[in-house]
Amino acid sequence: MGLSLSSLFNKLFGKKNIRILMVGLDAAGKTTILYKLKLGEIVTTIPTIGFNVESVEYKNISFTVWDVGGQDKIRPLWRHYFQNTQGLIFVVDSNDRERVAEAKDELSKMLQEDDLREALLLVFANKQDLPNAMSCADITDALGLQNMRNKKWYIQGATATAGTGLYEGLDWLSNELGK
Amino acid sequence: MEPTSVTSSGNNFNISDLTDDEQKLLKSIQEKKHLLLLEIQELKREIEEVTNELEGIDIGDENKPDPKAKQISIGRKKFNMDPKKGIEYLIEHGLLQNTAEDVARFLFQGEGLNKTAIGDYLGERNDFNVAVLKAFVNLHEFTDMILVQALRQFLWSFRLPGEAQKIDRMMECFAERYCSLNSGVFVNTDTCYVLSFAIIMLNTSLHNPSVKDKPTTERFIQMNRGINDGGNLPEELLTNLYDNIKKEPFKIPEDDGNDLMHTFFNPVKEGWLMKQGGRVKSWKRRWFILNDNCLYYFQYTTDKEPKGIIPLENIQVREVSNEKTKPNCFELFSAGSSEIIKACKVDSDGKVVEGRHNVYRMAAASVEEKDEWINSVRASINDNPFYDMLAARRKNATGSSGRAR
Repeated sequence: MGLSLSSLFNKLFGKKNIRILMVGLDAAGKTTILYKLKLGEIVTTIPTIGFNVESVEYKNISFTVWDVGGQDKIRPLWRHYFQNTQGLIFVVDSNDRERVAEAKDELSKMLQEDDLREALLLVFANKQDLPNAMSCADITDALGLQNMRNKKWYIQGATATAGTGLYEGLDWLSNELGK
Repeated sequence: MEPTSVTSSGNNFNISDLTDDEQKLLKSIQEKKHLLLLEIQELKREIEEVTNELEGIDIGDENKPDPKAKQISIGRKKFNMDPKKGIEYLIEHGLLQNTAEDVARFLFQGEGLNKTAIGDYLGERNDFNVAVLKAFVNLHEFTDMILVQALRQFLWSFRLPGEAQKIDRMMECFAERYCSLNSGVFVNTDTCYVLSFAIIMLNTSLHNPSVKDKPTTERFIQMNRGINDGGNLPEELLTNLYDNIKKEPFKIPEDDGNDLMHTFFNPVKEGWLMKQGGRVKSWKRRWFILNDNCLYYFQYTTDKEPKGIIPLENIQVREVSNEKTKPNCFELFSAGSSEIIKACKVDSDGKVVEGRHNVYRMAAASVEEKDEWINSVRASINDNPFYDMLAARRKNATGSSGRAR
């Protein structure tokens, strides 16, 4: 009810620009997700040296997704980018039971950042096609998602290589962002 | 070879005299025999192939490229398709030592290697690859270079992968090397590492079209607050860096490995042959190269791109003795159900078109050369059953008119 004029305008006509950071351990499947989301669009961009970044148009929202990561020492640099970040996509390799604790640490470090306090959290439980993969419920437990207070989160099973689950995740993000 | 032939073997034996179990046993023996016969045939074929190969080696002692060069060339091609397999191949064949230093040297020289493949290999997280990365960085000479210059040189030697964790490891190694050669430029290695990482972020933000909001100089300065061991780097340094990257993005390194030249390097066999036209039966002199189960022909030896390509798949080769106009002839003909040989060529307008040959007839300069070509081609032929199946299906689908098109 309390929409300002500009946000009303955006809601009716505009395209929202949303900045999303994508985090996850090595080989969790971030790059594959990025390019699968991009699939189907005509890509004419000139390749650039640097980080994987893609902008994806979905349901009238333009998501700009950055592959983020690295050691703690470079976190101050990213912190600068955390400002105005509306969403965090966290990718977990559901098949890698050994590193799920490490994944939990990585996630809680990110969520301690002040600038990400408001950000929506979408977890992709990736590699669901593998026979030994942990279920979404297992991963919810392992990451301690239930214990997160004041955090809007959603977990989505996915198989990035086949592209399954990815748009379901984006659906949740766009619904939440549209609220 | 007929498994049922036992019943009619002449003596008074009749299969119905046997008990059910005996019949079963007989059947299984017959099946075994059949399989063994197939195996023998397969072995015979293999022996023939090996003999052909040995003959090929004997001929080639003086005027053939040495096998080592050939293996290196194969290793490079494997590397470009799958870096890990390529390195494994080269180590297995004793062309590389199983040490990080030797592998790093190979990647650093980079001849014939795809730079994206080099980047993929250097970015892998396991211990050996990380050791290779360190050794690779240590082969670079950065003495008395300003940071951005050194970074440009470094990023020219391979294609930087886009994953943040990989970039992180690479910048850390780079900074260690840079600081060890340029002591006193930065307070400590970490400053150099974080700044190098920030430069890659800047290049991404300024030049990747997916990034909508382009940072200003002020934002770049702000972003780097406190990275100098808790303090700030001089604004002038950061402003210069910003301008430098804004003016000139990091270049995508030129690729060596995508060059067709390497396909034609160290071929199985090459030489002049006369080739008969597909429609007009005139003879033209062409330079032929046999490599990677393909036959390529060129107008001149110096041509960079072939005039025609014939994949040696589902074809056969035979001697031709009834050709009146030329001696020492041989020809390729289709082994499958389709009549036209799958091939392509460049037409007079420079367009790539499908070949129209039912047979490719060639003439060599001597009997020996003709035999060498026939043997080499035969050893390079690939039998791909799928191609044949596909052709048969097409034939069925298009009706009896039957041109597999």
